[in-house]
Amino acid sequence: MTDTAIEAAGLGKTFGRRRKRALHECAFRLPAGSVCALIGPNGAGKSTLLALAAGLLRPTEGTVTVLGTTPAAARERVAYVAQDKPLHRQLTIADTLRMGRDLNPGRWDAAVAERLVTDGGLDPAAKVRTLSGGQRTRVALALALGKRPELLLLDEPMADLDPLARHELMGALMADAAEHGTTVVMSSHVIAELEGSCDHLLLVGGGRVRLAGPVDDLLAAHALVTGPDGDLAPHTVVESRVTGRQLTALVRPAGPIGAGLRSGEPSLEELVLAHLRSPDAPALTLTDERREAAA
Amino acid sequence: MSTVSAEATTAGATTAEAPSTPFRGLVRTVLRLHRSALWFWVLFLAVAAGALLWAYGPGSDAAWQEYRTAGCAQGGLSPGCNTRVPAYQWFFTVTDTASELLYSVPLLTAAWAGSALIGREIENGTTAVVWTQSVSPARWLAAKLAVPAALLVAGTAVLSLLHRTVWSADRELWDSMGLEWHEGSIYTANGTLLTAYTLLGLAVGVLAGLIVRSALPALAGAAIGFAVLLNVIDSLRTHLWPVETLTREDGYPDYIGMVVGDGALTSTGARVSDPICVDDAACLARHDVVGFYRDYHPSSHFWPLQLMETGIVLAVAAVAVAAAFALLRRRTA
Repeated sequence: MTDTAIEAAGLGKTFGRRRKRALHECAFRLPAGSVCALIGPNGAGKSTLLALAAGLLRPTEGTVTVLGTTPAAARERVAYVAQDKPLHRQLTIADTLRMGRDLNPGRWDAAVAERLVTDGGLDPAAKVRTLSGGQRTRVALALALGKRPELLLLDEPMADLDPLARHELMGALMADAAEHGTTVVMSSHVIAELEGSCDHLLLVGGGRVRLAGPVDDLLAAHALVTGPDGDLAPHTVVESRVTGRQLTALVRPAGPIGAGLRSGEPSLEELVLAHLRSPDAPALTLTDERREAAA
Repeated sequence: MSTVSAEATTAGATTAEAPSTPFRGLVRTVLRLHRSALWFWVLFLAVAAGALLWAYGPGSDAAWQEYRTAGCAQGGLSPGCNTRVPAYQWFFTVTDTASELLYSVPLLTAAWAGSALIGREIENGTTAVVWTQSVSPARWLAAKLAVPAALLVAGTAVLSLLHRTVWSADRELWDSMGLEWHEGSIYTANGTLLTAYTLLGLAVGVLAGLIVRSALPALAGAAIGFAVLLNVIDSLRTHLWPVETLTREDGYPDYIGMVVGDGALTSTGARVSDPICVDDAACLARHDVVGFYRDYHPSSHFWPLQLMETGIVLAVAAVAVAAAFALLRRRTA
């Protein structure tokens, strides 16, 4: 049993003849059992990263290791839900779950899958083509959870759901993950959607990893600084804005914050937005070795 | 990391002990996904087999009966009687339609394989669903080829056998229609070629689906690709076995069997194109024409020709299948 769910080294993927670059030089490590938010603007490479980890794409450079092996060899232990929640339209819900049973011999947990479907008030005899976007999400999640994965990769899982269903489904997902120690990676460009349920953050932008690590450690490594305009050296400045003579900046402190400046820990949203607004800010990757050593 | 493939194999072997093996699960899934195609194939088989069985039994009996009543059956069938016997017309229509239906199977297979079997699944993104179950893309492709192939081979073999039975039982009726053993659709349906071309259609369709990755363009691509291959191989057909030659001095030899070529012969035995002198002796003498030849395949060449062509068709199909797997391997992990 490995304690690393996903490890990427120099991972890159280019598409098509024009060598359009979706990911480049990605390196990060995600410990097993974590719930990771994969955040980034549209077109940042989130979907590509998840598809690489799911073994659906072959990297053009570097490697990605999943559950201690290649994505192809980890296939049985990984579940994946694509962004547009593809399902076979000609099948009924029951047929779709039967397919899950047939294609995951020895792994399939019919009770989990069926409960998720019936909790949504869905008729198992309904054809997939008659379902709404949110209902399809539910069936896709049922198919993914029924597999009893060790790693669950979800690409924008909650996008089609109304707030109530989102809350309920996210709760079910998190409870299931906590019960079985499943590692979950969820992509989104809505930070609020993930705040509170995720303990890890992976921020990608422009095909690169911008921030990676435990949420608490990342927040602790940054300071939101306000005060009169002045020199912020020797701190690493992620983003700074000056309104009149008033300075607001997100920095990575390299020592005590200078006198005359007020400093506080940023919220996750502030941290993410500051990095998204400043694509040139240096990347930061924190590993939770400290935490592992304690455990 | 070097034992990846070995790990995958052993994983497959251990789960095989589970109540449902991955192989059986995949077969069930392919059948479930393509249920309507399966029903279409069953219906098609029923209609085509029904038509052939009718032609073999009541159809030909009625035709012969009417022939005898009309007095056409004395000393061989006289072609002039054809139009006056409705039962014969029925026999002709049904058998001809059945031959053409059978002949359409490979092309239909190519179009279906390109669109519904592969193209639609890639276009809708449902490959991502199947490939992230405990099934590798290569196994998925193998199942998508093997399950339809088994059903198509079984079906076309039965239809070919039936077609051949009708053909051999009532050769005189067919002959009187001017339909010979080498006629395109009859030639294909009477031997192993129908099955071979159907497999080629499947392979070409699957490859087109993987290349084009969307249903409708793959349908067109598969149909065009298959039609091109069919025509190329068809144009080779007469060259697949040594021909027999007939010669005659006072005109062309009989036009029999699958004719490959003909022309004039000079006194040295050289083959020249016919100067079209007709009966003009001086003209013939001037061109040194002393006779005429005709290259052809007699009906005894049916099996050698069929088997040679079957081999070529299956080889091309194998190449298409190998290309499909290579393409899939390059794209997915």
